[in-house]
Amino acid sequence: MKKILQISLGIVTAVGGFLEIGSVVTAVQAGASFNYQLLWAVLLGTICLIFLVEMSGRLAAVSKHTIVEATRERFGFPFFFIVMIGMTLVAFLVLVAELGGIGLSLQILTGIGFPWWAIPVSFLVWLLMWKGTFGLIENGASLLGLVTLSFVVAAVRLHPDWGSAAHGLLPTFPGARKASYWFVAVSILGASISPSLMYFYSSGAIEDEWDESYIPINRLTATLGMSLGGFLSMAVLVVAALVFHPRGIDVQKFEQASLLMTTALPKWGFTLFALSMLFACFGAALEISLAIAYFFAQGFGWNWSEDLAPSRDARFCLTYTIIILLGAVPLLFGVDPVKVTVMSMALTSATLPLAIVPFIFLMNDPIYLGKHRNGWLSNSVVLIIILLSFILAVISIPLELIGG
Amino acid sequence: MRLKRFSVIAMALLAACKPPTPAKQMDSIQSWLATAELDGDAWLRHAAPDNYSRQTLELSRETLLQVSHDLLSSHPPGVDSAMLDSVLIRSRRHIGQMSRFIEAKNPPAFARQLDSLRADQKIVKRIANSIESGR
Repeated sequence: MKKILQISLGIVTAVGGFLEIGSVVTAVQAGASFNYQLLWAVLLGTICLIFLVEMSGRLAAVSKHTIVEATRERFGFPFFFIVMIGMTLVAFLVLVAELGGIGLSLQILTGIGFPWWAIPVSFLVWLLMWKGTFGLIENGASLLGLVTLSFVVAAVRLHPDWGSAAHGLLPTFPGARKASYWFVAVSILGASISPSLMYFYSSGAIEDEWDESYIPINRLTATLGMSLGGFLSMAVLVVAALVFHPRGIDVQKFEQASLLMTTALPKWGFTLFALSMLFACFGAALEISLAIAYFFAQGFGWNWSEDLAPSRDARFCLTYTIIILLGAVPLLFGVDPVKVTVMSMALTSATLPLAIVPFIFLMNDPIYLGKHRNGWLSNSVVLIIILLSFILAVISIPLELIGG
Repeated sequence: MRLKRFSVIAMALLAACKPPTPAKQMDSIQSWLATAELDGDAWLRHAAPDNYSRQTLELSRETLLQVSHDLLSSHPPGVDSAMLDSVLIRSRRHIGQMSRFIEAKNPPAFARQLDSLRADQKIVKRIANSIESGR
């Protein structure tokens, strides 16, 4: 009974915590500009994420190491340092985007511009980190994030042509706007396959003291939770394809995206969108801040645990305090969070090999995993998708930048 | 040899950095007109709050001003600039009026401006199609 409860809670938190500003913005842009054509990118990203999250939990449960600790131990500090620089820069950009997403949600709800929210929002995120426990951050924010299920309701109410949508699950080559098409595809992959989520997940498994008995729970939670989460992203894309695409709206601003559900759910659609973004970005901001702090603390061998009092892991707490404070700065100057989001998601794709390739080595190391090492299927699926997203990112990012 | 290769790359980059084509700018204009129309429609159906609707209309108007200025100052070939200019000025005026009617809480007057905006949208679409077919 206890295990069923754990599995249910794991799936619910995975679903509630799946969407964040990156997955929503990229899915909305994809649906608005390319109809259902980019559903395959969401599918591919979700499949890859299922494998990676399952591996992250398995590594922690079997080896009692987080990904960061094992990477540093296995590859040495100089290599780890390179990974740390790359991952921290990208994760920081994602944090700016998430804090901005909270500010933009409050802007559309109150009419007060998002730069004014930068300090109060950052303070609230910091306060929850300082006072809260890992359970509160993991479960509380994700349960609130269940409001994002309203995207599925909106998609169903718009009566999409399911045949055409299913056709979008197969990759197709675009007729026009090729650079933009591949750039959005790369951004979707970057939004789905988030290394920060893996670091957060493996640290969480250690915080929750997982052992080998958790392997089946981990597998089920990762598969069902991430699949349902991916389904949510697809629902966002479908709604955007039905509302924005026929009108020729190319979504560049959050204000445009905010109209997403007003057609399907006239009475509550606007508020549900704002609340979905508010809770989803809030949960993601907490997770990213924690992931960065975990990265530093585990990498440098400091004390770390979200459940410890700040006086017992002072450097860990100082790290997230500084990161959150710095994250507010670009927003104070009015930097557009949507632009930061799209660019950070594409950069995530470009840096994926840096995080994932060493991780795959770890997952095949008998010293860490023993008989629970990766099989050929998980190795192949993850490496092919990572390689694909890296190549697409390297080609499409310069093209998109040059083409404006 | 190295200099030649460098100059080819530099020229390719410069060519790629050229401003958006008239067709792309027309896409952007149509996108912001459609945004204002969808926003206006949502406000009339009580599906979007006053504050948000006014801000979005204002954003649409400002962006339209910027994009149409960029487009018309480049004197795009094959485009009736005078006609496009006049329809875009009219559209921006309708959007501005819609914003004011939200403040005055006057849905009937708002609806009339929204209808006029929809008529202008059709004219802009025809012009965009003519640019598209002339390419």
